[in-house]
Amino acid sequence: MVSIDNFRMDLGQSRIINNLSFEVYEGETFGFLGSNGSGKTTTLRALLGIYKPTAGSLCIKKKPYHPSMGHLLGYLPEERGLYKKETVLDTMVFFGQLKQMSSAKARKWSLNYLERVDLLDKANTRIDRLSGGQQQKIQLGVTIINDPQLLILDEPTKGLDPINRRLLMEIIEERSKANATVILVTHQMEEVERLCERIVLLKDGNRRLYDTVDNIRNQYSSNIIELEFDGNIIVNDFLFQTSSLTHNFATLIPNKDVATSSIIKYLSNQNGLNIYRFEVMKASLEDIFIDIYKDDQKENISI
Amino acid sequence: MSHIRIVFKFEFSRIIHKKSFWISTLAFPLLIAAIFGLSYFSHQASSTSTQKAAQSKFSIAIEDKSHLINPLIISRYGASIVKNKAQGISEVKSRKIDAFFYYPPNPTKQSIKIFAKDVGLVQNYKYSTVASSILKTSLAISVGSSEKMQLLQHSPKTTLTTYVGKKQAKGFGRVIVPGIFLIFFYITIVLLGNRMLTSTTEEKENRVIEMILTSIKARSLIIGKFIALTITGVIQILAILTPIVIGYIWFRSKLHIPGVNLSQISFAIGPIIVGMVVFMLGYLLFSAILIAIGSAVPTAKEAGSFFGFTIMAMLVPFYALSAIVTSPNQLIVKVLTYFPLTSPVTLLLRNAVGNLSLYNEVIGIGILFISVIFTARLALRTFNYGILEYSRKVGIKELLTRKN
Repeated sequence: MVSIDNFRMDLGQSRIINNLSFEVYEGETFGFLGSNGSGKTTTLRALLGIYKPTAGSLCIKKKPYHPSMGHLLGYLPEERGLYKKETVLDTMVFFGQLKQMSSAKARKWSLNYLERVDLLDKANTRIDRLSGGQQQKIQLGVTIINDPQLLILDEPTKGLDPINRRLLMEIIEERSKANATVILVTHQMEEVERLCERIVLLKDGNRRLYDTVDNIRNQYSSNIIELEFDGNIIVNDFLFQTSSLTHNFATLIPNKDVATSSIIKYLSNQNGLNIYRFEVMKASLEDIFIDIYKDDQKENISI
Repeated sequence: MSHIRIVFKFEFSRIIHKKSFWISTLAFPLLIAAIFGLSYFSHQASSTSTQKAAQSKFSIAIEDKSHLINPLIISRYGASIVKNKAQGISEVKSRKIDAFFYYPPNPTKQSIKIFAKDVGLVQNYKYSTVASSILKTSLAISVGSSEKMQLLQHSPKTTLTTYVGKKQAKGFGRVIVPGIFLIFFYITIVLLGNRMLTSTTEEKENRVIEMILTSIKARSLIIGKFIALTITGVIQILAILTPIVIGYIWFRSKLHIPGVNLSQISFAIGPIIVGMVVFMLGYLLFSAILIAIGSAVPTAKEAGSFFGFTIMAMLVPFYALSAIVTSPNQLIVKVLTYFPLTSPVTLLLRNAVGNLSLYNEVIGIGILFISVIFTARLALRTFNYGILEYSRKVGIKELLTRKN
């Protein structure tokens, strides 16, 4: 559905994106991750033809994006808003028409949506007279008014209240069921773990991770070990660090390239230590994300 | 439906549904009507009171050192003759008479002295009217003909007929129609300029632009907005002109507005076409400049501060008005004619007064046309690069050097 190949973006003297390549398959929900300023929004803007890439190709359905493909797309940008002084219905119909819907169809869809989100009585109310949460609902409605085949959501949960967050999740799941492709840009890793099959992680314009969520967790997670015990644990800095330690509970983080078996061997050799539970936990995407950023920082400092 | 049409419909409907649009549209004609009304009633009231004052009778004494006052007139006004000035003044003070007129030996060089009972600022005017009337009527009798007297009093009327080759020239009448384009140009920019300037900042401030640009080309958005603004401008101008035209046709005589003799107005096709072309190019040029500025700045408030600059650029040619009218070959006039920001007003002015040669027309319009193309492209470029800069201005250097 989406293919980005050797995309490079320079703004003035600075390189924003450096030879980025990845693909998003039709019908999948794809996580596009990275810290603030890593180049995610720039990549999306270039993909949607708002920015012109310095080099490389960015295609949707094998063609560079053009506004005439707007009927395929639902885009919720990071910086988003609505015409504040217009009525809800007029605004929704306007966006529907821009996405090649007829006025009547856009009106009908909008009224159905407003009924679904309990805002039917606000159809002719000016948007600036709605609450923040109500405006968010309209924003989401405008994004999916054309039942898009490709839904690009740039930090969609930013500023959403819990009700609208749930609505958004429903929308994503509905679009997924309808075999739509969803690109999700978010800092909420639990959402990525729940919704996405594959991810790409961007750091300073470079691709740092690109795989399925499962593969990444298998490949990158330094397993966390949870222990329940009696006695004393003597910490061995060469083998592991402790993230929490009480008189009978500890969380151990093995050092890089240290096998779990070495830790078991070390602990079993300690006198007076009785272990009741020894469990190897998989690190979350958030932990991996933070580890990657920390490792890069260390490398930068050592350089 | 094409994107331009969708944007036009949406934008047009938004503008005409705004209260502020109708307030600003109707405020001007209402103000004009109020001024006309005030002027009419004020004129009526003052002329009635002046007439009444002039007609009201009062007792007069005269001392005539000029020997121009006819005794018949003195008796017609029921005036008495006093021995000297002191007596006349004394009689006024003692309220024996209302007014004393002292005619000096040479009224052409010396003023007629009037000493009178104070009856208020407006009513006092009657004394001067009567004193002058006594002298003029006396002179008319000595001249022996009131027509001759009128000729002496007022400059005789002259009618000038000039020729361009064998054809009769239209004189001042030739200025009117081409001059209308200059007036329209000003009205248009003043009415629409600020709206043009802020037309794109709204999308930026509302953060709605990014969603729009994924469904529509920037060019279509700008053109749709431009057409909507232009048509609302036409509505505003019609709303302003209609009461003026109605007022002129129906109340001209009551408002003492001089009539226009249509036969004296030139409808020469050449200056009309030049006026129309320069008006349209000037409008496009200023619109593109204003849209570019609006796209480069982050808020409507910041954009507003540039509006004054635009109006100043339009006013500059008026500081050189006398040179433009009388010495079109001066360097300053040439610069103003060809410099894009001052060119529309200077060309329209010169076209109106008739000192724009074919050479000037071609070069001036050519430069203006190229400027419109260049500025429109610059506006589009500014829009593309500036519209997503939500919190900072886009500089000229960045604009010209950026490649993506």
